[in-house]
Amino acid sequence: MKFITTLILLMNLNLIWAQTTISGVVMDEANTPILGANVYLDGTYDGGSTDDNGTFEFETTETGAQTLIISFLSFETSSITDEVSHLSNLSIKLKEDVNSLGSVILNAGTFSAGDNSEAAVLTPLDIVTTAGAAGDYIGAFQTLPGTSTVAEDGRLFVRGGDANETNIYIDGLQVFQPFTPAANNLPTRGRFSPFLFKGTNFSTGGYSAEYGNALSSVLLLNTIDEPDEEKTEFQFINVGLGGGNTQKWGDNSLSINAFYLNLKPYQNIVDQRVDWIKPYESISGESVYRHQFNNGLLKVYGGFTYADFELNQQDINVPQGINFYLKNRNLYLNSSYRGDLGNDWSVSTGVSFANDNNGIRIEGMDVNNADNSFHAKLKLKKRYSNRFKINYGAEQYLTHYKETAANPDFEAFESQYTNNTTAVFTEANIFLSKKFAFQTGIRGAYHSVLEDYNISPRVSLAYKISENSQMSVAYGDFYQLPDQNVLQYETELEPSKASHYIANYLYQNNGRMFRAEAYYKTYQDLIKYSTEMPQFDSEYYSSGEGYAAGLDVFWRDDKSIPNLEYWITYSYLDTERDYQNFETRATPNFAAAHNLSVVGKYFKEDWKSLISATYNFASGRPYDNPNTSAFLAEKTKSYNSLNLSWAYLISPQKILYLSASNVLGADNIFNYQYSNTPDMNGQFSRSAIRQPADRFFIIGFFWTISDNKNDNQLDNL
Amino acid sequence: MKTLITIITLLCLQFAIGQQNYNKGMSKAFELWKAQQTDEAANLFERIAGAEKENWIPFYYAAQIHIISTYNTKEGKEIESRLAKAQNLVNEAKTFSDNNAEVLVLEAMLNTAYVAYKPNVYGMKLSAKVEELYQQAKALEPNNPRAILYHAEWKMGSARFWGKDPKAFCPEVEKAILYFENAEEPKVPFYPHWGMKQVTRVQKICNQS
Repeated sequence: MKFITTLILLMNLNLIWAQTTISGVVMDEANTPILGANVYLDGTYDGGSTDDNGTFEFETTETGAQTLIISFLSFETSSITDEVSHLSNLSIKLKEDVNSLGSVILNAGTFSAGDNSEAAVLTPLDIVTTAGAAGDYIGAFQTLPGTSTVAEDGRLFVRGGDANETNIYIDGLQVFQPFTPAANNLPTRGRFSPFLFKGTNFSTGGYSAEYGNALSSVLLLNTIDEPDEEKTEFQFINVGLGGGNTQKWGDNSLSINAFYLNLKPYQNIVDQRVDWIKPYESISGESVYRHQFNNGLLKVYGGFTYADFELNQQDINVPQGINFYLKNRNLYLNSSYRGDLGNDWSVSTGVSFANDNNGIRIEGMDVNNADNSFHAKLKLKKRYSNRFKINYGAEQYLTHYKETAANPDFEAFESQYTNNTTAVFTEANIFLSKKFAFQTGIRGAYHSVLEDYNISPRVSLAYKISENSQMSVAYGDFYQLPDQNVLQYETELEPSKASHYIANYLYQNNGRMFRAEAYYKTYQDLIKYSTEMPQFDSEYYSSGEGYAAGLDVFWRDDKSIPNLEYWITYSYLDTERDYQNFETRATPNFAAAHNLSVVGKYFKEDWKSLISATYNFASGRPYDNPNTSAFLAEKTKSYNSLNLSWAYLISPQKILYLSASNVLGADNIFNYQYSNTPDMNGQFSRSAIRQPADRFFIIGFFWTISDNKNDNQLDNL
Repeated sequence: MKTLITIITLLCLQFAIGQQNYNKGMSKAFELWKAQQTDEAANLFERIAGAEKENWIPFYYAAQIHIISTYNTKEGKEIESRLAKAQNLVNEAKTFSDNNAEVLVLEAMLNTAYVAYKPNVYGMKLSAKVEELYQQAKALEPNNPRAILYHAEWKMGSARFWGKDPKAFCPEVEKAILYFENAEEPKVPFYPHWGMKQVTRVQKICNQS
């Protein structure tokens, strides 16, 4: 009897217990009712959805203190814990999730290339398919605003800064020699295979306190976390061949690739203005190993390059030319770990190491240098809420550089320097609402070589004006060590300093993007020296200075014309500086006032072809004419280049690629070299520095074999 | 002894009532879904998932509703937030049931939705992943009719894109039909059993002359 009573009692408890009604209304921050929000008691079946008026009502048999959860897409989930009897006629406000689409973006100064970032201006594929970039990871960035076309160099010149003012990072760790070596006035290329990266951030100013020792810009490359499939790839190009393989097992994956490049056969066919003795030849290999832990990801990257070439450089003062031979050996290792520590803490840490050796012979003089650089970084991030995050970090750099110059006529001359840089940084990321966000940080660094420490503040904020547009501003101080070729002779110097002031406007609407950014930049303590090139007997000063101001405009449209994507960038640059061996403050040779790029990509479906065209224009660049008294006062004619490429997809695994640079054959002039001595009429004669060849052609065949055999079924049909 | 029996009986009863709630809740969610009240259905599946703990099935259906909902909208923000939500739900389902062919097929459908939404952005990036997911699903359950049917549909899509004959995959569709017809009633309640109705859509290509 007792048993039955208990049973009935308990069944009552479960089934017929007095029900409590839970009710209320759910609204957003603007008091607009939310339809379809999910409202329920945590851990129970009791709940409901809100109706058109945002109201909900449901019954529950639960008693005592319970947690009511209110959730809705792209809003932050909210909860109320209270006695069930108190949970009626509630008025609940949901905050918009600042991580969701449509939030304000802290983007002053920054271009993202990745597919998950809303601020992305380029997709990874864009980087490979931009005509004129020739598969060079850096080439595509040269079509973005804020960069100057300096075609004879190939590196990134950002907003009046020279190429040494940009630092490149892979997975947060510095790359010390991102470019392959090249002779004077011949363009270089990035060392890395574009297919290893999933996303990129290119900051043309005002970047995060996490990065230092770069006056103008940082380029952040992130490697792929997990390859999608096992595959083997082959590349056959008219200038070289390569292959790669990706394997996956358990929580591990390994990608390796190798490439052999030899310009000789090409240069035998296509005439060059350069008198090559041994055309450029290189062998390079890369590998990435990844391991997924329960709460983290380890990546180990290694890259190796060996390259050499020899040529007879034209020189107006040396009629027979200058013999120049270079061999370079570069090893780069980078391992990084990122993971969750629990309690909303996460860690990113890693080390990178580079060993770079150059053996150079100039007219019988041997110059050998060796650079060993090391970088270690530890960054901790605490996420207090979606709206408030803080980073804390510390990093250490070690650099040793040594150069030996030897000539049969004099004794070997040795120069070297060692530097340890220690830096700490912290940065807070705060979203006051979905419309207003700011980031503020500070970085302190100590450089042992200069016995100098400096502190640089960084701040940026963004405000959303309307559904599709926002404004942002940024300010920051940036310090950089003098270049290697100066530090090897002189260390009693100050670091150079730049301050950036940036204002940005962004409009985005369904496949269209307009971005305009105005900036002003000051330079202090730039390095000056008393000779034409830095030498052991030069005098050095930290007394240089300068400024850069400009406007960068970017328009991208993927929507208006089916299958056509295009972007147009225009950069206006006004800059002057007094540095190196300048007589006075002047606009340097690398800075053209106007730069324009138009990039178009058209996918023609029935041809299975991606046709791409890039047009680059740069106004005349300053050069110095010793026949006049003014310094750097004359300008070259403007630069023009139209590049075309055609990728034909033979099948999902086979691509045929053709590209031609400067198809119209514009004879571009970058600078003039004047003779050291005047001729009979008292005039200094000159020769133009021109392109090594008017056009460059690439024919390539790319073949991917998925290890997954069924994937090739299409070919067997 | 009596007390022990009482406790055991009560525990069983408690469990039975729990099961009853689960069955009732799931049936209600399917009714809502049938009545086109998809968001309510998804909400209910999510509530059940939260209350059940360690059961992947309600997560699976909540994710499926969000994925299917993106087929009928062109609003980019909605598509992205729904697919992001679906990915979270799929991840939850995976933590409670690793190496589950049904979840892998659903994840392949999720990635296909991304490709359909922005082919130029996601096409190249996700195609390999979709293929890999179907391969994995088929390796686990070679006779799973949903894996066979949806994989065939995916292959037909890419064959069309490459100018090949999509009909080459019609035998796969036939195979799927066969497995649908011979599929046993699932032993686990609400275990995925759907898909026969989708055959007609996929078969359209095969019936064209």
